[in-house]
Amino acid sequence: MTEHGTKSVGATIVAWTVVLATIFPLLWMAITSIKPQQELFRMPPMFLPENVTLEHYRNLLENTPFLKYFGHSLVIATSTTLLVVVLGVFGAYSLVRFSYPGRERIALVVLSTYLLPSVVLVLPLYLMMVKVGVANTLLSLVIAYTTFSLPYALWLLRAFMASAPEDLEWAALVDGASRLGAFVDVVLPQALPGIISTAVFTFIVGWNEYFYALILVNSDSARPLTTGVMNMLITSFNIEWSLLMAASVMMSLPLIVIFVFLQSHLTRGFAASGVKG
Amino acid sequence: MTVAVLGGPTRARTFSLQRQYALLGMLLIAPTILVFCAVIVYPLIYAIYLSLFSIYTPTLQGHWVGLDNFRQMFGSGEFWTTLQTNVIWTVGTLTLQVVFGVGTALLLNQNIWFRSLARSLVLFPYFVSTVVAVLVWRWMFNDVYGILNHVLLQAGVVDLPVDWLGRMPNAMASVILIGAWKYFPFVVIAVLARLQTIPPQLYEAATIDGAGVWGRFWDVTLPQLREVLVVIVLLRTIWDFKEFDLIYLLTGGGPVTSTQTLPLLVYKQAFGLNAMGTASTYAIGMLLVLLTFMALYLSRVGHEKEQT
Repeated sequence: MTEHGTKSVGATIVAWTVVLATIFPLLWMAITSIKPQQELFRMPPMFLPENVTLEHYRNLLENTPFLKYFGHSLVIATSTTLLVVVLGVFGAYSLVRFSYPGRERIALVVLSTYLLPSVVLVLPLYLMMVKVGVANTLLSLVIAYTTFSLPYALWLLRAFMASAPEDLEWAALVDGASRLGAFVDVVLPQALPGIISTAVFTFIVGWNEYFYALILVNSDSARPLTTGVMNMLITSFNIEWSLLMAASVMMSLPLIVIFVFLQSHLTRGFAASGVKG
Repeated sequence: MTVAVLGGPTRARTFSLQRQYALLGMLLIAPTILVFCAVIVYPLIYAIYLSLFSIYTPTLQGHWVGLDNFRQMFGSGEFWTTLQTNVIWTVGTLTLQVVFGVGTALLLNQNIWFRSLARSLVLFPYFVSTVVAVLVWRWMFNDVYGILNHVLLQAGVVDLPVDWLGRMPNAMASVILIGAWKYFPFVVIAVLARLQTIPPQLYEAATIDGAGVWGRFWDVTLPQLREVLVVIVLLRTIWDFKEFDLIYLLTGGGPVTSTQTLPLLVYKQAFGLNAMGTASTYAIGMLLVLLTFMALYLSRVGHEKEQT
């Protein structure tokens, strides 16, 4: 279908029109966030700002609890990622390279919990958090996020580890390495790209999560960015769109960093996530 | 071959080594299973248990009502109308996701300028937080200053600013469209990965047989994509069906209840009407509906693994 070597001008124009239309809302968000207030409400609206201003960002950082929420999100997403990746690496290694009774069944249970809707688990989790006394804490969200990230991470890591060749590990064992020694020296380095992909995915999903945060956390002392920023929208008298667009841009910062530096890991994660045909 | 080397001097040693390995394997998975039981299995059973109670949310006090909640749920019109709304949303947004997704994947599979940049840019809506997506779209939907109304008015498509989210059928159409925008990159990536593995000889053979662009699409591309499309549709059906954030943040289920899906109804029952037991019943009811799709997906993916 593709002519080798020669680029197609027609296809380029159509494809890039589609791509630009797709990301237009996000461009518009960035443009709005650097427009002075009076340009925002000009009729007709200008595409590019006449004057660029960072006042909305300053306002956001100085006069709103944005940074506090940002910190919460960072702590929650990082802790969830660490917990899930450590558990997942050992679990996936066990599922792929060891044989014991019940192994296949565990794998199937993992896959089915990966499809379980949060809305089923959220009410019991809410009651459990209240009972144990961790409601309205960062910990409660780390626990809740484990419910969807752990099955996901296990599934991804299992796919990655299954695709790595076993020979090197056996060779190390023959050379007298212990099973755990071989794990550290051979299996981990082989699985590293997969581990990074899994970590990146887990982090993004934790960073973006809204539903559990809405139900489990009802105080500013533990509120993450998602519910925090929505609260800024709901509680303000008149909606300050430029401020909200600045918040949206800031909220997408980790994502942009990941896209710039770790993009290949994102695509690799996709390939392993159970849709490969 | 390597296993034979490992076979070692005596069978007894190998046997004990195998037992040790099995033990080590179980030890490695044990923490995961423990966490699994604590945060997934136990809450799941608890959810079923809750659905048999009548519980007042603010005090969390309640009493056993048995299957009454289920009888009420299946007997009430609200469950069925909400289910209907849920199906409309899911079918609508999923259809658009697949059509846009396959179309864009075909485009991005062509030999175009800056192809890898285009491929990564198109992923952005999928990875951006739903909160961000909703804020941006609500700003673009703004009736007075929103860019969308402005462009449509300017182009003469409409005479008055459109109320995108406040009336029907606009609200449902908007939610479906934004859902499609947010999730079609998933289809793009999955389809693109599959497209790259279609042998070019198939296209060459079809061309020799006189097939045009259209013919090659129907006779070569589509049959090759069939498997991956089935898996995509199953996965996305489950995920779109249970979507809460996007709809809740865009319309809150409104106007009135026109865009209220089952997850929103569960939330309303639990925290709006303070009926946590009934809410749990609706959640289990929703799970029952999804079970078919989950079983289909599981059998699909399990089946594929046997083949490879």
